[in-house]
Amino acid sequence: MLELDNVSVRFGGLTAVDSVTLSIASNDVIGLVGSNGAGKTTLFNAISGLVRPTSGAIRFEGRDVMATPMYQRARLGIGRTFQIPQPMHELTVRENLIVAQRFGTGKVDHQKIDEILDFTSLTAKANRDAASELALTELKALEVAKALATDPKLLLLDEVLAGLETTGKRRFMGMLKDLHAKFGVGIVMIEHDIETISNLCPRVAVLNFGQLIADGTPDAVFRDPAVIKSYTGAADA
Amino acid sequence: MKSSSLISTIGLLLAAYVAVPLLLGSNQYVMSMVVAALIIGGVALSWALLGNLGGMVSFGHAAFFGVGAYVSALTTVKLGLPVFAAMLLGGVGATISAVIMLPVLRLRGPYFALAILAYAHIFRIVATEWSSLTGGSGGVANIPTLPTVFGVDLASKTGAYLVVLTLVVCCALAYSRIRSSHYGIALRAMHDSEDATRVVGVNSTLLKGAMLLVSAFMAGLFGAFNAHYINFLEPDYAFNSLWVTLPIVAAIFGGYRTILGPVLGAVVVYLVDQLIFKSLIPTGHQLVLGVLLVAMIVFSPNGLLPLLQKWLKKALGKEKKHA
Repeated sequence: MLELDNVSVRFGGLTAVDSVTLSIASNDVIGLVGSNGAGKTTLFNAISGLVRPTSGAIRFEGRDVMATPMYQRARLGIGRTFQIPQPMHELTVRENLIVAQRFGTGKVDHQKIDEILDFTSLTAKANRDAASELALTELKALEVAKALATDPKLLLLDEVLAGLETTGKRRFMGMLKDLHAKFGVGIVMIEHDIETISNLCPRVAVLNFGQLIADGTPDAVFRDPAVIKSYTGAADA
Repeated sequence: MKSSSLISTIGLLLAAYVAVPLLLGSNQYVMSMVVAALIIGGVALSWALLGNLGGMVSFGHAAFFGVGAYVSALTTVKLGLPVFAAMLLGGVGATISAVIMLPVLRLRGPYFALAILAYAHIFRIVATEWSSLTGGSGGVANIPTLPTVFGVDLASKTGAYLVVLTLVVCCALAYSRIRSSHYGIALRAMHDSEDATRVVGVNSTLLKGAMLLVSAFMAGLFGAFNAHYINFLEPDYAFNSLWVTLPIVAAIFGGYRTILGPVLGAVVVYLVDQLIFKSLIPTGHQLVLGVLLVAMIVFSPNGLLPLLQKWLKKALGKEKKHA
């Protein structure tokens, strides 16, 4: 569904993403890991269209999307969440989803919105002001809900579990487990917690200093010496 | 629309269409002040639409006002078009002048405000220098007056009042429709977080551009009306920066995030200034306006209309408690 071909993103002298080649299928649930500054979020930004890669190619369903603006990629089916939740200000939770659905899919389907609200446990908060009346867990849930409302084929989740307390995290884990099956959406999720990733993702990709250093099952990847080295910070032998 | 606001809207319309002409119609001077106030109110409405929905502060509305005035005046004088058709063309002309400004949408905040101000000056220079078409700084004289329709002389003060009032009402309705549409909701959402809307498929640049065009059309319409109302134009008058500064003061004073606020602000500010302060302080009476505006921004940053609504709610709440 999504092909990254030698994608690099450079900011001045810094290479944030370095020649990443990766293929994501529509039934994939991939965990994207790597230490801070490894280029995970920048890779998401490149896929969703927030930054333009310096070189390489990005194809979505066979179509070159390198020059496609972010809003159009959303309409094509690339949905994402932001690590720091970005609710649409001045709108209620429901209005947030209405805007996402109306502009992401071209029509409004209130039944589907109710389903998404229910799935993300936001039904009780539907008429609350999104920016000022939600707790962090709910803001994170709203990020997922907004992305789902655009009817994505690929969903990029940027640390949706980070910063949540234990109960919120557990509830969220349950939701993430069902996400792929219920909405038939391919998922790439950035998470730091190896146990969480092993639990949720049949496939794991590892970035280190912008480079893809491993891609495979959690068992294989987390046993890979190069991955362990990148995680423990051991110097190159 | 809630039934209470529907009733107050109908009441307001009745007062504006029936009570004002009946009570003030005989006083030509006051009527001309009211018409002028509504012209400023109309431009203030268009300015507030761009500010509230598009999140843009424009210092360039004098250009739309002037282009609308010139297009309408010239198409009636040179081509003999009927006045109302020409006024619509005036709006269209202002819209086209806004299309030329679309590149400035890439700029944000103060940069946008400055760029659009610079653009506005271009049109004033064109109107002055292209004298074969516009008559240059000598201006355009003998612009046809508003016609007589169904026996009502629209060129009279009361007639002109009814026309400009109708224009304001139509623009307010259009504004209200846009604001409550999905586009309006998305535009409101864009204020603080444009990326948050783009990531769910909103073409934010297109929507903002559309608001600029709608706003320009409205401002052009009032410029066109004014040209036929006063029957004379010159570049320094039609493109005068007062056509944007007064509306800004009116919109902020009345409440630029509401629909009626800018119109109310214009009526209050202009009438109070012209009818009261001007007689008290013949020169420099605008000073009082400045003080009033500052006081409003300090004590009720949302403007007069939200303040009135709050008072009204309080008063009604007290009444209910007593009952």
